[in-house]
Amino acid sequence: MDDLKKREGEELPAYSFVVERGKIREFVQAVGDPNPVYVDKEYAAREGYADVIAPPTFGICIDLWGGADFVRLCEMFGLNPFKVLHGEQEYEYYGEIYPGDEITARPRLARVLSKEGKSGGIRMITLETTYFNQRGEKVLLARCLIVERR
Amino acid sequence: MTGQVCFKDVNVGDEIPRLVKEPVTEVQLVKYAGASGDFNPLHTVDAVGKLAGFDGVIAHGMLVMGFVAQALTAWLPNRCLKKLKARFTAVTRPGDIITVTGRITAKRPEENLIAGEIQAADQRGEVKIKGGFEAVLPGRR
Repeated sequence: MDDLKKREGEELPAYSFVVERGKIREFVQAVGDPNPVYVDKEYAAREGYADVIAPPTFGICIDLWGGADFVRLCEMFGLNPFKVLHGEQEYEYYGEIYPGDEITARPRLARVLSKEGKSGGIRMITLETTYFNQRGEKVLLARCLIVERR
Repeated sequence: MTGQVCFKDVNVGDEIPRLVKEPVTEVQLVKYAGASGDFNPLHTVDAVGKLAGFDGVIAHGMLVMGFVAQALTAWLPNRCLKKLKARFTAVTRPGDIITVTGRITAKRPEENLIAGEIQAADQRGEVKIKGGFEAVLPGRR
């Protein structure tokens, strides 16, 4: 059996990330999203938020700045970085993420599937990560499907 | 800008307001690499993009998912959004003009929940992301 398959269900090392106001601004500027709810505290307050908020795909920033980067992730799972694709990404939202929040991410190797095709095999790896704030409140869940051509 | 959409005003088949982005630029990919922490050189170094079989660099899939999220949260307050899913179906290159479109596919009145499909496609109609979302809307104004 595939070595990685044997690790299915394994909890991976947790990591944490302090959300900075400037990081949120940098992120939405890169995306080109002009929504003031991410940068204007007074506007955010009028919308009913305690402060500016992190945008819906900000979880990636927590993962890559707080946890393993792409190369380390490949090493951790024994993947060839040149054969790896990001197949799918899914988020479930449970609460807002604000500047100053210390987010702890708890990733799990949720599923490993291998398939054989005419042009070789592929392996599909699902990472499921749950994110908690400093009060222990679950704010986000992410599922990331990584596809490796073999 | 947001906060005006109520559950009763939304019907199955309705389209969400479309978002047409500025062309993706190489500088944007450098900015997104720094912002997100994704320094895979496939997105910033032309030679690596060529080695991988493309004409040069390709965009981060998550950048295009960011466009999808932008379209949704320009229409709905962020707190309404409960789920967002993206399947990456094709690569995006500098110069591509991404348009995000979507429509409502289901309503569940007991929870004021709506579900929809959403996609991002380029100027040639090539679909980069096929996805879906769920949101809970206010019952009345």
